[in-house]
Amino acid sequence: MRLSRVYVSIITIRHRGLGKATYNLLMWSWFHKFGSPRWFYDFSTRVLPWLAVLCAAFLLVGVVWALAIAPSDYKQGNSFRIFYIHVPTAVISLVGYYVMAIAGAVSLIWRMKLADIVMKEAAPIGALLTFVALFSGAVWGKPTWGTWWVWDARVTSMLILFFLYVGVIALHKAFDNPEQSGKACAVLSLVGTVNIPIIYKSVDWWYSLHQPATIKFTEESTIHPDMFWPFLVITTGFYLLYAVALIANTRLGILQREYRTQWVRSRLQE
Amino acid sequence: MAGKTIIKAVLRREFLLSVRNASASLNGVWFFVLVCGLFAIGIGPDKEQLGGLAPGLIWVTALLAVMLSVDALFRHDYADGSLEQLLLAAHSLYFLVLARLMAQALLIAVPLALVSPLLALMLGMKAAGLPVLILSLLLGVPTLVMIGAIGAALTVGFERGGLLLALLVLPLYVPVLIFAAAAVVSAADGYTYAGQLMILAAQFVLAVALSPLAVVAGLRLNYYH
Amino acid sequence: MHPQRKQRLQIIVFVLIAVAIAAGLLLYALRENINLFYPPADIAAGKVAVGQQIRAGGMVREGSVERSEQNLQVRFVVTDYAADLVVNYDGILPDMFAENAGVVVAGKLTENGEFEASEVLAKHDENYMPPEVAEALEQSGGSSEAEY
Repeated sequence: MRLSRVYVSIITIRHRGLGKATYNLLMWSWFHKFGSPRWFYDFSTRVLPWLAVLCAAFLLVGVVWALAIAPSDYKQGNSFRIFYIHVPTAVISLVGYYVMAIAGAVSLIWRMKLADIVMKEAAPIGALLTFVALFSGAVWGKPTWGTWWVWDARVTSMLILFFLYVGVIALHKAFDNPEQSGKACAVLSLVGTVNIPIIYKSVDWWYSLHQPATIKFTEESTIHPDMFWPFLVITTGFYLLYAVALIANTRLGILQREYRTQWVRSRLQE
Repeated sequence: MAGKTIIKAVLRREFLLSVRNASASLNGVWFFVLVCGLFAIGIGPDKEQLGGLAPGLIWVTALLAVMLSVDALFRHDYADGSLEQLLLAAHSLYFLVLARLMAQALLIAVPLALVSPLLALMLGMKAAGLPVLILSLLLGVPTLVMIGAIGAALTVGFERGGLLLALLVLPLYVPVLIFAAAAVVSAADGYTYAGQLMILAAQFVLAVALSPLAVVAGLRLNYYH
Repeated sequence: MHPQRKQRLQIIVFVLIAVAIAAGLLLYALRENINLFYPPADIAAGKVAVGQQIRAGGMVREGSVERSEQNLQVRFVVTDYAADLVVNYDGILPDMFAENAGVVVAGKLTENGEFEASEVLAKHDENYMPPEVAEALEQSGGSSEAEY
């Protein structure tokens, strides 16, 4: 590997007596520190409570604002409020796939254990979000489209995204060896990343073939400011929720993976 | 270049194996015919209804047949150790895998394409769609083989990879299914279909270039201890 | 050149060529119009054969909806402001169906030039606003729908 060659040459530089600061910078000590499960565990112990409080605050304000204060829609009435759950979960479930794939790529290239754990923990969270988006879409579809399920482009894409997540989870469970399962899931999620734009484009076309989206009233979807602000707050809340869930699950994953080590024992005894 | 002789040897081996073991290669075709028959039995004998559904039914069945054939793609080589030899050789592994996938794609696509007119007639599909059905299978099935090979490489270490393979691979088959079935439907109804076939071809070219990378990575991880 | 590096270069060149070919094929495909959707103007121009399963869409013309007293039979006019299409439908319309709103109908053209719909879908227009705002817009005549 090219990287290991760089590594070796840096080590020789150090032996030639270069300054420690240069060495640290070249050695990407920050990168390795960040990649250490132990460092992440201790760091997140400090950060997680603050993040959780922030998340709860945003969600509380967002939910009250969206459900009670924000105006109802001129056409859809109160059923429009499902929008405030449906859209953030749908967006984050897609973002979550890329979070998973990037973590997978990092673990594949730099063999970083933390990235491996993050990738595996991101899959069930993403699947759950996708499910919530699908479910809220169905509930929203009943009053607006007159049916629980419509093979709409976005609904169909979400369904496939859900199965992409299911595939990663199933593959992860199939291996006994965590190293192998990490690599396999990383390869699969990278393949999925290449495919997602193709799948989305083809489903879009398929939908416009069967249910034309050609009648467009405006170029972009527009939303009134009174509805946009609660949406922004609640979306931020959902992003924070995603971060909190991912960090908390990663901590659990670290404990499971490292339970034999001394530092885990000492943390658990505290 | 020494790589060329190795690739030739790989191709020769693939074709010889499939000829010597013809009954196993035919299983996919029988499956294809049988499941289409099951659809007819399940839906009812109404030819008009079946004819409208035929492009979709035939394509979904072909897709399942490909997935099941691909499952065994690396399993024998994994069991008898020749896969490990291949990976150790490491000589232009990308092109070796690509050669193998191309050979398999040909061996799987051509029989399916050959029997498809028979199924189309049995299901009462409009005759105008027939040439496009064959073309779409010849263009689309190789893509499915390439994508399926990624799943097969990832699951080669498992005794029973079938269901898992389906979960991994079927969502990735969606774009091929959409354009292939749409091409056949358009042709059967007398509309233009060149656009859909072009997109199938584009997907094939992309799969040819990218899937060997993932297959090699997938095969390698099975030898990680 | 180092054999391994040479091989890597070969792979990269191969992938790049493949991506270029795929892009070319896609560009060619995009020039073709592969939609089975027709606005009323195309139907009026005789681009659709009688009895062919298609989809059509446009706005429901104001005041054109006639409901039968006895059964669920509905008759309305879909327009793209260039041509009109008379649609007959037997079934329950979705809640979002309204005059002056977007609609997509699936079905076939009959001999007398009318459209026999087997399915009616209301098109929700991705504009979200409170009722008072919509009213105000309507009064000022600047409704988003009128700008179609």
